[in-house]
Amino acid sequence: MNPSLKLFLVIFLSLELTFITKLWVNLIVIIICLIILMHYRFHWRQFCWLVFVPLFPALAIFITIVLFSPGHSLFDGTVLFSRLYVYVCLGTVFTFTTNTLTLARSLEQNCHLPSKYAYGVLAALNLIPKMKQAVTTIYTAGHMRGVNLHWWSPTLYFKAILVAIQWSDQLAQAMESHGFVEGQARTITVKIPITTRDWVYFSSILILIQIIVIALP
Amino acid sequence: MTKRSLHLRDIILLALIGIIFGVIYFAAGFVYNGLTILLTPIGYGPMANDLTMGIWCMAGPLAGFLLKTPGAAFLGEFLGAAIEMFLGDQWGAANLISGAVQGIGAELGFTFTLYRMYNWLTLLISSLTLTFITFGWDWFRNGYNHFSGQMLTIMLIARFVSMFVFSGILVKLIANLLQRAHLIKQ
Repeated sequence: MNPSLKLFLVIFLSLELTFITKLWVNLIVIIICLIILMHYRFHWRQFCWLVFVPLFPALAIFITIVLFSPGHSLFDGTVLFSRLYVYVCLGTVFTFTTNTLTLARSLEQNCHLPSKYAYGVLAALNLIPKMKQAVTTIYTAGHMRGVNLHWWSPTLYFKAILVAIQWSDQLAQAMESHGFVEGQARTITVKIPITTRDWVYFSSILILIQIIVIALP
Repeated sequence: MTKRSLHLRDIILLALIGIIFGVIYFAAGFVYNGLTILLTPIGYGPMANDLTMGIWCMAGPLAGFLLKTPGAAFLGEFLGAAIEMFLGDQWGAANLISGAVQGIGAELGFTFTLYRMYNWLTLLISSLTLTFITFGWDWFRNGYNHFSGQMLTIMLIARFVSMFVFSGILVKLIANLLQRAHLIKQ
């Protein structure tokens, strides 16, 4: 499916399910997401991660609503519990099945996002591993001087931002020296089309979810 | 008012700041879970969300202070949230929406001071707008409409305190360091 359409669908569903208190649609969305993930050979360790990550906040909301809220509603508690899993499942399906380069190209071509945003963010995304490394280096360098930097130390953020400023300068220069000009018309190497099939998938998923929302509690 | 728009370099910088916060938050994620476990037995489990909210909203005000350009606070916060989704955190797809909501909250603080003042007042206003706007969003997302009035008041206050400590004081301390290093444009 076209990445932009998929992104729009995921955001729309998350937003819709936030304002609707229905249980079945949450469960069905979670199951569909899990089937899609299995189809794409999701590793069982990643499944454990998927179950574990939202568990604490979801349980906290569930317990608070069922035991401590004035309504004591088991139904509302379950809806909110499953809602967190809906968010995470939708997010995981999107990130797992979408390549960031394709997404950037699609947003630029299909949604007419200015190329400086599409490629600027993409360039930064590719630096995630290096940024992790840089933060670890800052921590370690602190330890070597006997300074323990915590996540609430301003110095930690300051040093990391210094790195970011330097990298962003260098990256922007590198991109411009390779001929990237802001706002100029660009030729397209890989065309990302929106096919009729994409639209059919998109609208049928959307309609199906609306039917489930209306029909089931 | 500065009529400067965001350029390629600024966009990369904002995304990188988003990554920094994403990486550091990820390490601080246990704070959220720890607080949740502590607070759930006394019936205030979701308050962990309010107490840590200020931590998740730091990127926006900091970006606003660093670039002093309309839109910087919004974009910094939104990109931070989007990157957190790619790093795979607790909120998944809802991160994009939360990011947009938080971004608007952070941006409003600078809008109300017309992008002219960059001091404690700006941070106080942006903490206030962030508190109210994110609370409104949680009203729907986390089912805050189910809770009692007393609990909501306590959670609102907790959220403002957290917002002011992290997105206010801590951001100001970082901005002061950047100021001393002459990295913030005058």
